Amino acid sequence: MHTSKLVLVAFTALGVISLTTLTYAKSPRTEKQIADENKALTDVVAKGDALWHNGGLGTNGLACANCHPDGSASNPHTWPKFQTNLGKVGTMRDMVNWCIAVPMQGKPLALDSDELIALEAYATYTHRGVAIAPAKDEQHGAVPVKSGPGYP
Amino acid sequence: MDKISRRQFLGMSTKVGAATMFTGILAPSATSFFGLGGVSHAGTRKISEFNFAILTDAHLYNIADHKFDHILEKAVADVNGLANKPDFVLYGGDLGQSGKKEELAKGKKILDKLTVPYKIIPGEHDYYLDMGAEWRGMFGPEHWSFDHKGVHFIGMNSILIKDFWTARGLTPVERMGLLEELECHQCGAWGVGEAQLEWLKADVKKLSPDTPVVIMTHSPLWDYYPRWNFQTLDAPEIRAILKKFEKVIAIHGHVHQVVYNKIGNIHSAGLLSTSWPWPYPPVTLPHPDIKMNRVDPGNFEDGLGTHQVSLSTDFAGMVNYRAFADLLPANVKRGLKL
Repeated sequence: MHTSKLVLVAFTALGVISLTTLTYAKSPRTEKQIADENKALTDVVAKGDALWHNGGLGTNGLACANCHPDGSASNPHTWPKFQTNLGKVGTMRDMVNWCIAVPMQGKPLALDSDELIALEAYATYTHRGVAIAPAKDEQHGAVPVKSGPGYP
Repeated sequence: MDKISRRQFLGMSTKVGAATMFTGILAPSATSFFGLGGVSHAGTRKISEFNFAILTDAHLYNIADHKFDHILEKAVADVNGLANKPDFVLYGGDLGQSGKKEELAKGKKILDKLTVPYKIIPGEHDYYLDMGAEWRGMFGPEHWSFDHKGVHFIGMNSILIKDFWTARGLTPVERMGLLEELECHQCGAWGVGEAQLEWLKADVKKLSPDTPVVIMTHSPLWDYYPRWNFQTLDAPEIRAILKKFEKVIAIHGHVHQVVYNKIGNIHSAGLLSTSWPWPYPPVTLPHPDIKMNRVDPGNFEDGLGTHQVSLSTDFAGMVNYRAFADLLPANVKRGLKL
């Protein structure tokens, strides 16, 4: 018992020492930088929100939000996975494009387009905190929202 | 409604009757779950058994040859083809998508192909472009009641929202656009409003407590998920007015899904749409065992369907969800008791 206690003390001491000598790979961000970066994300999420509800992505009036209110059932935590409709392992962006092309009868977006990134950002943000689970066979609701758009 | 023929007076088909028995005998868990079990309701007066059909939430767009047009056509053909002909059809709102005259006219043209009479209430998608003017012009009053074979039927407009547009200077198109979003966080909660509550009080005043009552609203008469207006603001007042009745069956559209709840004497059932299914909201379901299966986004008819509701002599209700694709759990396929 004495021995193990001593070892524990030694490890704790080492831990304290290592913490005190920790150096950062890059300088800590200032509060302003963090705020600016968060705003940049929120702006993209808001752009995604607007696109998500915009029937103009398709040609038959339908928008993503017709079937996915608050981003629900888009299951961003389960991608990449094999998706039957895609016939391959795809990413969420592939699936959004499939939805634009098939149920919405529109033109798919470039995979690296600002629009598709914004749509992905919106859907993912509405599922923040949901455990990443590639290929998990579940339909997950968005984070419950009491009021407002669902993001800051 | 008074033109329902003698021929339609005939009772339930053997098919529906068999479904009722099947549930009662072979699926005791499902039966007991809803706490009814086919036992007659002491105090509810006997009625002549009959059935009616329900369609809802077509969300027609003003686009020619749109896929939702074909689904509504299919739904109407399905109801017209029922071997056990319904006495009438109820339509639960959201015939159009953006409240346009063309959408409502297209919907009316399709619904007019029904071979039995139908009664209809508005949904928010029918309403907020012109505050229901076109809708009323085509279909008449937004609330109504009638008696049929001993049952009192009530329909009400449950999607009335406090004016949020005037102060913000929104155009009718902008107002409608916001209401087209299920999660419209700028719109607020809706309800039936004071005038309809007064009308309802007067409507049921002279009815005895043993009168079987069926009420249809676009939104549920219970707090399901207010964020998506899966609620009716003055549902507590409505439930209070209807409390004197032995049993009330409440049916509602808007949710585009199978859902059931019972509050006191009110047995509520949600309906399938003929446009798209909504996912279940992020709340604990009162009856998760009847949750419908996940929908295949590649099958444009999955999650959609029609309904046939049969009422027995003791006012035991049975909803047969007639899904166009195989999305229902086995217990719901056998019918949902109300």
